[in-house]
Amino acid sequence: MITRPTTDTLIEDCCRELTEVILPGLTDETLRLRLVMTETVLRNAAVRAAHEIAWMLAETSALVAYAAAVAARHGSEPLRAAMAAVEASPAVSLHLGDVVDRYERAGQAFSEALAAAQEAGAADLVAQARELLRDRIAIEKQVMATYTIVGR
Amino acid sequence: MDALGPRFERFLAAVEPAREGRVIACEAITGGYSRISARARVRWRDGVEETFILRGDPPPGSGVFTSDRDAERELLQSLTTATSVSTPKVRWYDGSGEYLGSKAIVMDCAPAGSLQDEMARAQDIGPLTDLFIDTFTAVHATPLARLPARMPHPPDWLTYLDGVLANYDRIAGEHPGSAPVLGYVTWWARTHMPPPVPLGLVHGDCNPTNVLVGPAGPPLVIDWEFARIGDPREDLGYYTQSPVEPNVYWADPERFLDRYRAATGLTAEQVNPQTVDYFLIIGMAALLEQLLTAAAAIGAPERPGILAPYLINAISHQHDMFLAICDRLS
Repeated sequence: MITRPTTDTLIEDCCRELTEVILPGLTDETLRLRLVMTETVLRNAAVRAAHEIAWMLAETSALVAYAAAVAARHGSEPLRAAMAAVEASPAVSLHLGDVVDRYERAGQAFSEALAAAQEAGAADLVAQARELLRDRIAIEKQVMATYTIVGR
Repeated sequence: MDALGPRFERFLAAVEPAREGRVIACEAITGGYSRISARARVRWRDGVEETFILRGDPPPGSGVFTSDRDAERELLQSLTTATSVSTPKVRWYDGSGEYLGSKAIVMDCAPAGSLQDEMARAQDIGPLTDLFIDTFTAVHATPLARLPARMPHPPDWLTYLDGVLANYDRIAGEHPGSAPVLGYVTWWARTHMPPPVPLGLVHGDCNPTNVLVGPAGPPLVIDWEFARIGDPREDLGYYTQSPVEPNVYWADPERFLDRYRAATGLTAEQVNPQTVDYFLIIGMAALLEQLLTAAAAIGAPERPGILAPYLINAISHQHDMFLAICDRLS
């Protein structure tokens, strides 16, 4: 397959086409607004295309490790079931759909683990969860790229 | 004149057959993320001209934010006698969408501009800040018994707050991408409840763009689609995240809250920067659910339009805000 330009570069090129060539020719305010929104979505998609599989794999490992740490101290049936669901998903596949599926299952295990830690009053584990969420938000903010609210 | 003009003319022929109204101008009003709005100028047979605002639903299956036009119309009608706040006068209602393409409220167009624009032009925003605070204080003081029966009336503050947090639990269960953040935030919110205040009428989109001011008369409060009975501090919290400049809360938070406390009689324990932060989380529950629902619908045959993927950024923004609030208030 043709790998260069990479997907993110192709999308960014489309963004330039939209903003530098098409947008100046639009006079309808509603259409201009929609185009600006579309360009923002494409920029978000470019960031994701470049990194999302790596990001999800890394976070999945961290979430599962956290769930295991909580399970060792405050195991619960919902947590065990959620962890089993992660294990049942294909860990070796790098196809996007499979990676997303495993990532969501890991998120569910994390949520169950967090609930167990909260219920047990395990402040150290709750604080550890907060750190993982901090990392997640840092990535979400990278995806947001140049987002600013328009049209309000 | 776009296609709405002729449709509005047919509508006028049905509701005011004797007056023979002709639509002489009709233009869409851009801005806003939820309803479709237009301004129409009508000349009646006797030569009198009037301008109206048409506020309708987007086509079914499109858009991100949903609200009930029947409920908004009923609320607007009840507010004319229930509150000292001025609201748009409803002239007619196409309750089936037969004429205007979707359910649409037709209101008088006030000769007024937005308070936000006035603030942007003002050298001294103090008096306009006071006007904004006093206007929403009056909204919050609306006697709840006079509001429409169809509007949910929570029995007490704790039941209301528990209900919002239970909704967050449900939302987390339905949207796995947000579940980790919402699970953390909801637990935090349950363990950090602030002192209660009396429930009040919450506008739901509290910002100066929804207050119209003219050369005479009281300010007019518009866009009631997200109004509900809740904790009035939700409106204050909601406004803090408004990105439109100037944001008169952030210009001087203590002055803003002093004024609100003095007007409402609430205490510094009830209304302070921390409780306002807390109620940003509470006040965003319904809108966050709509954002998540719209994001989940992307790719479906009935696509919600470009606003849905665009506002995925707003979901991330809310995750960030919510966790920052938990950190600040812990």
